[in-house]
Amino acid sequence: MSPTRLCVPGDKLCSVEDCIMGTGVYLRHGYIYSSLAGYVLRKNEGEELPVISVVRETEVQLLPDVGAIVTCKVTSINSRFAKVHILYVGSTPLKDLFRGTIRKEDVRATEKDKVEMHRSFRPGDIVLAKVISLGDVQSNYLLTTAENELGVVVAHSDAGEHTVTLLWRDGGVQPQVETGDRKIIIQFMSTSDLHCPHSYERRKLCVLVCVSVF
Amino acid sequence: MPTDTKRVRAPEVSQSPSLFSCGPAVVLPSHGARADGRQRDQVDVRPVFVRCGLVSQAKGSAYIEAGDTKLLCSVYGPKETERKDETDMKCGRLTTDMRFAPFSCPERGSWIQGSQDKNFSLMLQESLQPALCLHKYPRSQIEVNVMVLENSGSVQAHAITCASLALADAGIEMYDLVLGCSIRQDGSSYVVDPTYLEENNWSSSEHQGGLTVAFLPSLNQVSGLQSDGEMTEETLTAGIRTCIEGCYKLYPVIQQALVKAVRRAAPES
Repeated sequence: MSPTRLCVPGDKLCSVEDCIMGTGVYLRHGYIYSSLAGYVLRKNEGEELPVISVVRETEVQLLPDVGAIVTCKVTSINSRFAKVHILYVGSTPLKDLFRGTIRKEDVRATEKDKVEMHRSFRPGDIVLAKVISLGDVQSNYLLTTAENELGVVVAHSDAGEHTVTLLWRDGGVQPQVETGDRKIIIQFMSTSDLHCPHSYERRKLCVLVCVSVF
Repeated sequence: MPTDTKRVRAPEVSQSPSLFSCGPAVVLPSHGARADGRQRDQVDVRPVFVRCGLVSQAKGSAYIEAGDTKLLCSVYGPKETERKDETDMKCGRLTTDMRFAPFSCPERGSWIQGSQDKNFSLMLQESLQPALCLHKYPRSQIEVNVMVLENSGSVQAHAITCASLALADAGIEMYDLVLGCSIRQDGSSYVVDPTYLEENNWSSSEHQGGLTVAFLPSLNQVSGLQSDGEMTEETLTAGIRTCIEGCYKLYPVIQQALVKAVRRAAPES
C-alpha cells in the first residue's frame, strides 16, 4: 500500500483509468474525487485496478440499508406489528434513534397467518432482524425475522428483572425455560442436535446465551 | 434630623445614562486605507483562525475567527427525520439554523430569531445543499447549527465556510467544501471582507451595496449568491470574481485545518 495521504472533500485523487472507486469517493468527468476528509487508501484486491477509497478512523456512520442485519429493541406490540428501535447495524452502534416495524407476516417464514404477536415478542426484547425495505412516507424501516438466524436474542421474563434463555420456533418467542431466581442458565445448542419430527418443518433454534441475575 | 448611616445617598440630580454612551458612529472615509490597515480594491481578506472538533457532543464542529468575527458551528446527524414527505425517501434533508448570541452585536439582541436570522439560515441552506451527497442518506436529516459569538462583519460568508468545515469534520459526504466571501461596494471602490463598521456605513454615494458569494473551489461552481444595495451589472460581475478570488485565498487555510483535525482524531494508522 502506498503511504497514506490525507485529503479533504473535493480533492482530485486520480483518473478513473487508474483505480476503481471504493467508498468515500465520487466520479466526475473521468476523475475520481474524494468526498470525505480522511486517509486515502489504495488496495489491490485481485482485480486489474486497485480500489481507492477514503476512510475516516472514527466510526463510520452507517444507515440501515436494505439487507442489513440489525439489532433492535421492541418498544411496543400490536396485533398486527411490533415497533422497534434499531440499536446496532451489524456490529456498529448507532448514535441516533431509528425506528423500525416488524409486521405480523414477517415474523416467521412458515405459518405466517398463525403468528400471535404477543407470544412472539414482548416489549423490551432484543431482536436480530433484517431490513427488507426503507419504508414509504408513513412507515418506518420494515424488518423481518423470518429466517433461521433471526429472531429474539434476549428477553425479560414476566417477573421483570430476570432474563431467560429462549428457544424459539421459527422466529417466535416461546419461553421454554422458567425464570429461576437463582439459576444461571447458559445453554448452547446447535440446530442439528434438535432436529425432530414435528408439525413445523424444522424447529428453529439458535445459540443463545443468557444470564439470569438474582 | 438624624442621618441614615446605613444607606448610600443617591446624587440629588439624576441624568440619563445615554449621555454617557459612545458618540455617534464614525463615518468612514471612502478612499484611502481601511481602518484596520488592509487595502481597498484589493483582495485582502482578514487572516482566519480555524479549528475543528471543539464541540464534543456534536457529530462535527468548527470554530472560525476572522479579525473579530467569531463563529461556532455544530453538526448533528444523520438522524431520522421527524416529518417525512416524498422527497425524503430518496435523499436526506439538510436543516440549518443560524443564531446570533445576544452579546454578538454592538446593540444587544434577543434570543428569539428575527426575520434577518431566518434569512441567513435560508441562505446557508441554499449554499450548503448542492455540496452534500444527500442521496447517500435517505430518510435522514442533517442539522447544522451556527452560533455567532461576535459579529464584526462578513458573518454570512464566514458562516458558510464554518458550516462546511463542520460538515466535513462530521464525516458527511460532500462533493466539495463551500467557502464564503463577501465584499462591500462603496461607490467606485470596494472592500473585501468588510468589518461591521464598513458594512453598516451607508454613505450617500451611489452604487452602494454588499455581495456575499458561496463558492465550491474544486468544482469551480457558485452555490450561493446574495446581494443588497444598488450596483450596476459590471460592478456585480466584477464583485463576484473578486469574491471567488477571496475564496481561493482562504482555501489552503481551510484544507490545512481539516487535515490537522483528521490527524488529531486518528493518528497515522
